Amino acid sequence: MSSPERTPAVRCDGLTRRYGERVALDAVSLTVAPGERLLLTGGNGAGKTTLLRVLATVLRPHAGEVAIDGHVLPHDARKVRPAIGYVGHEPLVYPVLTARENLELYAALYGVGRERIEQVLDLAGLNGRGGDPAGELSRGLRQRLGLARAMLHSPSLLLLDEPTTGLDEDGRERLRGVLAAHSGAAVIATHEPDWFAGLEHGRLRLAAGRAA
Amino acid sequence: MNGSHRARPDRATAAATAAALLMALALAMIFFYVPTDVSEGYSQRIFYFHVPIALTTYFLFTWGAVNGARFLLKRDISLDLKSYVPMHLGVIFGSLTLVTGSIWANIAWGTWWFWGDTQLTTFLIIFLFNCAYFMLRFSVEAGERRATFSAVYAVLGVGLIPLSVIGVHVAQTNDLIHPITFNENGANMDSSMFLTFLVALAAMITLSVTMYLIELRGKRIDDRLRAIRRLAGGEA
Amino acid sequence: MRAYRALLRKDLLLELRGRELVPAMVVFVVGALVLVRLGLGGERLAGGTRAATGLLWVVVVFTSMLALVRSFAQEREHGIWDGLLSAPADRSAIWAARASATFLFLGVTQAVALPLFWLFFLQDGRSPSLAVLAAALALADLGVAMLGALLAGLVSNVRAREVLLPVLFLPFALPLVSVAVRMSVDSIPPQNGGLDALQGLGFLALYDTIFALLGWALFEYVVED
Repeated sequence: MSSPERTPAVRCDGLTRRYGERVALDAVSLTVAPGERLLLTGGNGAGKTTLLRVLATVLRPHAGEVAIDGHVLPHDARKVRPAIGYVGHEPLVYPVLTARENLELYAALYGVGRERIEQVLDLAGLNGRGGDPAGELSRGLRQRLGLARAMLHSPSLLLLDEPTTGLDEDGRERLRGVLAAHSGAAVIATHEPDWFAGLEHGRLRLAAGRAA
Repeated sequence: MNGSHRARPDRATAAATAAALLMALALAMIFFYVPTDVSEGYSQRIFYFHVPIALTTYFLFTWGAVNGARFLLKRDISLDLKSYVPMHLGVIFGSLTLVTGSIWANIAWGTWWFWGDTQLTTFLIIFLFNCAYFMLRFSVEAGERRATFSAVYAVLGVGLIPLSVIGVHVAQTNDLIHPITFNENGANMDSSMFLTFLVALAAMITLSVTMYLIELRGKRIDDRLRAIRRLAGGEA
Repeated sequence: MRAYRALLRKDLLLELRGRELVPAMVVFVVGALVLVRLGLGGERLAGGTRAATGLLWVVVVFTSMLALVRSFAQEREHGIWDGLLSAPADRSAIWAARASATFLFLGVTQAVALPLFWLFFLQDGRSPSLAVLAAALALADLGVAMLGALLAGLVSNVRAREVLLPVLFLPFALPLVSVAVRMSVDSIPPQNGGLDALQGLGFLALYDTIFALLGWALFEYVVED
């Protein structure tokens, strides 16, 4: 199925990103084939989150080339955004809005029908909690809401930043189910790579902003 | 790369020479050539400083905003300095404009500041805008983000300048006549006055360009030095 | 358009649930009007209706600062920017929604402030034309809201943003206030010439147009990092 000519899902070549004058990513190169799931490991401050945020088109690269599905960032960012599902450190939801209201907002931003909202609430095991304000959900339930948010538009590329944080056993099983069912590519930053055994295809270790 | 490095000092030297010659010529014309103004007397000669300095300030702000817009489009970080330096020089020329304008107001109207004058008020708004630009710049850590924010604010200034000119003019219905230097028929001056004015304007603009080239060079050396220090610190 | 409506609904819901802005703005504007009234002398009004009308505009500008400083506070405090920015919707929709919300909040605040202004300052029968004042306020609010949403986005990731925003905003308020005050004051009878109201409104409309264009074009740059 995978031929070497296929456009990689993610390709970074000498990607460099600074915050002010501090270099967070220093000439990182990597390739993720379509359907491949890559684990990013490395200590705190190694650059995992920065890398994911660049791929999520939130941060612009300062040097080097980044392409997602062959579209070069930041120029073609608009073309790749519909394909990306991003789970960040924060669940990226408004605490005073209910879970459902948050998903309605994002459904509008992604141009997705409302019927999809109940599906992802179900997917994340949040049925029955859709009317609760997101800020009143527990840490683990908010993490699930973040996952539901990211799956809303059925993305082909998943970018997950510490997705297991705060999840209970049921939540973890659901995450495992989502990943197993996901046919597209995924880049997952994690401190517990062993948990992903059987789901991963490759690993990249970052240290001080460089591929180690 | 090397060629441009060698060429830059030459440009600065050439500009400095031109500025010195033009300035000497302008001073000579202002004090020895141009006739004394009939109504305002000898002190009216401050006009040949004030108006060219004011126009140079507008020129510098426009220059800074244009390079800011170019930075936003091209993301070439060297354009950040090329936007910042004119804005910075704009403060110096802007302060001089306010001082010379105040002196001229005293000569023309017998008061150091006259709120009925549209051009003084407009200039004050632009000057405050420029001070705000520096507050913004000093609140953000050096890097792409500072360059972006400064550029956006500089470009906003392009909207503010005409709005201030029109707005202040519209609001001042009881406009006390600003000594009018130009009207629809061209220059409201005799030819010797106009010639002196043009030479003074050319001198001021050349001076500002010289200062731009010199400051840009200094800032670039600063940046390189910092980069080298960072590298040395990183390896140590 | 769907993104804009959803974002505006979000901004209004946030205010409805959190009540962070409008109550504070209303209390502030009442307090500021009392302050101005006392500042112009207790029993007798120094400077009369004209001075009061001018100061009304100063109060309007300072009240709007309150609305602007809290713009995007939720996005910043809960790290929601990454969610909005990674979505495919046009980023200027975020700006337009925020500006619309601010415009509505300013309108509500002024609906409270205007009757009080009449009560406090205009008991001698001479008052600026309500139509002129209301039209000028609406156009000025629009300009403030559009420019303010852009500047609020600009400072939302800057240290000392609460201090910086008024500093950045104030130069832009000056031409606005100078025209708005003049046209409001000149609408007080007996009118003897002065600034034609239509000319003043025309200027405010020009102001709005310029910052609508600049805000729409520049917002993308201030939120991306």
